[in-house]
Amino acid sequence: MAAIVRLSSVCRRGVKPLFYQSTLLARPLVVPYKNQEQPYQLTARIHSSQALYAGSGSKAASLHWTAERVLSILLLAMGPVAYFNPSPVIDYSLAAALTLHGHWGIGQVLTDYVHGDKKIKMANRSLFLVSTITFAGLCYFNYNDVGICKAIALLWSK
Amino acid sequence: MALLLRTLARQGVCISRPAYSSVLYRHAAPMGTTAKEEMNKFWSKNARLNRPMSPHLTIYKWSVPMMMSVTHRGTGVGLSGAISAFALAALVLPGSYPYYLDLIHSLSIGPFLIGLAKFGIAFPVSYHTYNGIRHLWWDIGKGFKIPEVYRTGYTVIILSVLTSIGVAFL
Repeated sequence: MAAIVRLSSVCRRGVKPLFYQSTLLARPLVVPYKNQEQPYQLTARIHSSQALYAGSGSKAASLHWTAERVLSILLLAMGPVAYFNPSPVIDYSLAAALTLHGHWGIGQVLTDYVHGDKKIKMANRSLFLVSTITFAGLCYFNYNDVGICKAIALLWSK
Repeated sequence: MALLLRTLARQGVCISRPAYSSVLYRHAAPMGTTAKEEMNKFWSKNARLNRPMSPHLTIYKWSVPMMMSVTHRGTGVGLSGAISAFALAALVLPGSYPYYLDLIHSLSIGPFLIGLAKFGIAFPVSYHTYNGIRHLWWDIGKGFKIPEVYRTGYTVIILSVLTSIGVAFL
C-alpha cells in the first residue's frame, strides 16, 4: 500500500525529506482517506501550495536563457551580412551583439566557478565594467577608425 | 488497515522529529529552499570547514564531448578577451588601425607564418561558431543520443579545421 510506504519513509528520515519528495507532494496521500481528518488533507494542501509556489516566483532566469539563444542566432545571421554587405549599421550591430554575447557568456562562466555572495557581486561588477569598456572601445573604433568589417578585411588582405 | 494508519499518524509516530508538528498546520509553508539558497549553503559550509575539493579533472576519464565542451568555453573566453583587448587598445593607443597594420607589414613576416596566424585567428572563431550551432541544436532538444553527440561533435571538429584552413588561404 502506497500509504504505508509514504508514512514509513517519513518515520525513517524525518519530515524534512517529505518536502523534497516531489512524488509525495504530487500524489496526495489523501486519496483513499479523503473523507477523514485534517492531517491527511494536509498533503492535499501541500500539493496545492506546491502548485502555487511553482507558479509564483520570477521568470527572469528563464527569459535570460531565451534571450541568450536569440542573441546567438542573431549573431550567427550577422556573419554573412557583414561579409556581403559591410556598412556602419552592421559595424555597430556587430559591436553590440559581440559585446553582449561575450558579457552573458562570461557571466555564465562566473556563475559556474565563483562562489560566495560577496565574490559573486564583485566579479559581476568587474565584468560589467569590462563589457562597458569593450562596447565603448568598439563604438569608438567604428566612429573614429575604419570600423569592424573594414578592419577584418584589411587584416586579411595582408 | 485505515484505522491503524490513522492512529499511527495521529499519535505522531515520529515524535523524535519536532518539525513533524509543522505538517499538521493547515497551510503548509512552501516546500524546501530555492536552488540558489541550497547552493550557497553548500559552499559556505564547505568553505567554513576548509574541506578540500574532490578530484575531478584529474581522475575522470577524458572524452571527446568533455574536451569539446571545455574547448567551447576556452575559445569563448579567449575570443571575448581578445575583443576586449582590441577595444581597449582602440581607446588607448594613439595611432589609427591602418598605421598599426602597416607596422606589422613592415616586419616582412613570411607567408607561412602569416597563414599560420590567420589559421590561429580563424580556428577559435569557426570552432566556437560551429559548436555554438551544435549547442543550439541541443537547445531545441535534438541530438542527445550518445552516438549523435559524437557524430555532431566530429562534424564540428572537421568543419572547423576545414573552414580555418580555407579562410587562412584567402
